[in-house]
Amino acid sequence: MKFTWFHLMPYRWLPADFRERYHSVWVDLPNGIYDPEKGHDLYNEYLDMLEYAEQCGFDAIAVNEHHQNAYGMMPSPNIMAATLARRTSKAMLLVLGNSIVCYNPPTRIAEEFAMLDVISGGRLIAGFPVGTSMDINYCAGQNPATVRDKYREGHELIVKAWKTREPFAFNGKYTKLRYVNLWPRPIQQPHPPVWIPGLGSIETWDFCAQHDYNYSYLSFSGYKRARNMMNGYWERRTALGADDNPHSAAFFQQVCISETDAQCEKEWWPHVDYFFNKCLHLYPGTSEAPGYRSEASLRAGIVAQFGNTTQNMGIDKTWKQLVNEGYILAGSPETVRQQIEELGKTLRVGHVLLGCQIGSAPAELVNRATKLAGDQILPKLRHLYSDYEDRWWPKALPASRRAKPGAHNPVSAGVGP
Amino acid sequence: MLDLGSGRPKLEVQEAGAGPSLFFLHGAGGVAWDGALGLLAKHFHVYAPSLPGFGKSPSEGLELIEDALELWQLGFDVMEALGLEKPLLVGESFGGWIAAEMAALRPKEVGKLALLAPVGLWRDESPVVDLFGLTIGELLPFLFHDMKSAAARNMSQLTTLMSDKDDRTQAQIDQLIAIFLGFRTAAKFLFPVPDTGLERRLWRIRVPTLVLWGAQDRLIAPSYAELIAKRVRNAQVVTIERCGHLSMAEQPEATAKEIQRFAGI
Repeated sequence: MKFTWFHLMPYRWLPADFRERYHSVWVDLPNGIYDPEKGHDLYNEYLDMLEYAEQCGFDAIAVNEHHQNAYGMMPSPNIMAATLARRTSKAMLLVLGNSIVCYNPPTRIAEEFAMLDVISGGRLIAGFPVGTSMDINYCAGQNPATVRDKYREGHELIVKAWKTREPFAFNGKYTKLRYVNLWPRPIQQPHPPVWIPGLGSIETWDFCAQHDYNYSYLSFSGYKRARNMMNGYWERRTALGADDNPHSAAFFQQVCISETDAQCEKEWWPHVDYFFNKCLHLYPGTSEAPGYRSEASLRAGIVAQFGNTTQNMGIDKTWKQLVNEGYILAGSPETVRQQIEELGKTLRVGHVLLGCQIGSAPAELVNRATKLAGDQILPKLRHLYSDYEDRWWPKALPASRRAKPGAHNPVSAGVGP
Repeated sequence: MLDLGSGRPKLEVQEAGAGPSLFFLHGAGGVAWDGALGLLAKHFHVYAPSLPGFGKSPSEGLELIEDALELWQLGFDVMEALGLEKPLLVGESFGGWIAAEMAALRPKEVGKLALLAPVGLWRDESPVVDLFGLTIGELLPFLFHDMKSAAARNMSQLTTLMSDKDDRTQAQIDQLIAIFLGFRTAAKFLFPVPDTGLERRLWRIRVPTLVLWGAQDRLIAPSYAELIAKRVRNAQVVTIERCGHLSMAEQPEATAKEIQRFAGI
C-alpha cells in the first residue's frame, strides 16, 4: 500500500455562528470574511505541512481544486504543486485538479502538467476531475448539459498533445486549434499517470478502465460507507475485463492521530467539529445543476443526493458517531493502523489518501500526527498489495539525474561572492 | 410522437381544439392544459410540442440540438411537419424566447406572435432570478404573485418530492427526474446567465406582437416588456394584474382573453 498526504486547505476562521449567518461554505460565501493576511500565513503553514509529510516518509503529497470554497482554498492546484515541486525532492506530487472543462484551451492543462513534471523530475500524478457541479457549473459557469461531452473532448486533446511529437490540428466541437505542439512535453512517457477523482458514477469507472487510469474515490463519509460503492467498482472492472489490481483504486480517508486513544478526542474534536459542522455547510439549491449527471446516474444516486444529505455528510454527529461510523479514523497510531488495514482490505485499495489535517487543526497537532503516521503506521502497512505492479505510479528520474533546486544560485549553493 | 427523420429528435406534440392554428412553445415546466392553454383550445386548434426532456419527448434528443440556432430551426421543422402556415405563435418564458427568435429568423412564416414573459434579455440593474440555483421550494415564490392561488398550491406539491428520507414512491422519483430532465434542456440554452443575445435581433420581428407580462413577475421583471416593445416595431404591451411569472397558470382567464383579443377572435 502507498500513502499520500492529502490537503484540502480549509480556511480556519469561519465565525462561530457560521451556519446561522451564511447560506453555504461554497459558491456564494462573501469573500469579505476572508482575511488575506491570515490567508498568507495559512497557505505557508499548510505548505509546510505538506513538505513535512515528505520528510516523515509519505510516498506522495496531494493537492486538489475547488473554487469559491472556504474549505478548499486551492482554485489553482498547479500553483500549489509548483511550490512543492521546488521544495520537495522525493515525494510524488498528486494533483487532483485540473477540472478540464474550466480551462480554455485545454492545452493549458497539458502545458502546466508538463511543466510540473519537468520541474519535479517526473514526480507528477495528473488528476482529471470532471469537477463538482458547484465548481464547474455554478462557479465556472460551464453548461451542465454539455459538460461531460466537453470533458471527453478536452481529455482527448490533452493526452494527444502529450503523446504527439509533431504539430497537429485539433478540430473539436468545443476547441479548435490549428497548431497543437506542446512545449515543454512531460518527462514521463508516454505521459504522467492519470488519476480520476470521483464520487461513484459508473461512467467514471468505465472511463478509468478504458484508459487504464486510477480511480480515486473521494468521500468525506469514510471507508465503512464506501464498501458498497467500491464493491460496485470492482464488479464493474470484472465485467469490463479489467484486472483486479488494487493500485487501480485510491480512497480518501480523514484521520485524527494522537499519541493515545484517550487524548485523541480532546485534541481533535474542535477541529473535526469545525470541518463537519462548518466546512460541509452546503446550500442544496446550488449542489447540482440540471444535466450535471446523466439520467442513469441520477436514478442510481437519487436517494443519496436528495435525501439524507445532511446525515450522510456527517453534519450534527457526535465524535463517537463519526468515529464508530468511520467518517474519521481516530486514536493512537496502532488504533488508526488497524483501521487503515481494514480499509485497505475491505475496499481493496492500494492507495490511501490520508486527510491528516482536518478543519481548523493547527500545525503543531497536524505535524505530530504526520510524524506518528510516518513512524508507526506507514512502515507496518506498506507490504499490503506490494506483490501487485503499480502501473499508476510516476516513473520519476533517478535521484542521480535530478536537478538540485538552488544549485545554481551562488548564495544558496554557498559558492557566491 | 413526431418523427422528424433519422438523426433528429423525436418529439411529442399534443393537440386540442378546433379553429385557427395556435403553435405553443412551453416554458421550463413543460406543457400544461389546466391553465390558459385549455381555455385557448376552445377557440383555436392548439399544437403544443414538447422539447426533448419534456413530457414524453425523449431527453436524448437534446444531444441532436447542437446550439440555439438549431433549436429555433427545430421549431420551424415541427411547424412544417404539422403543416402549419403562418400560425399564431405563442411562447411562455423559455418558449417565449424561442418564439421571439423564430419570428426574428423567418418573419414571413409567422402569423402573429404572443410573448408571455419571455426570457432572453438581461439588464444588470434588474437581474433575472437564477432558475437553476434555487431549490423548488425557494423558486415557487418567484413564479407566483399569490402563493395561496390554486396554481401555486398545486405546484407546491412538488416540494414534497424533496425529501430528507428515502420514502418516495417510484412515481415521485419519476416526477423528480422529469423535472430535472426538462430543466436540463432549458439549462443547455439558458445557463448560467440567460442573456441569449435576443435583444440584438428583436428589430427583425415584423409581425404584430403581443408582449404579455404579470405585473408582479418576480422572476423576470415586467420592465423587460418595455425593453422588448421598444425594439419590436409592431408590439403592444399588456400587463396582467395580480399575476406573477406564470400568467397562464395564475391568471388563465385574463391571459387567454388577451391572446384572443390580440388574435382578433
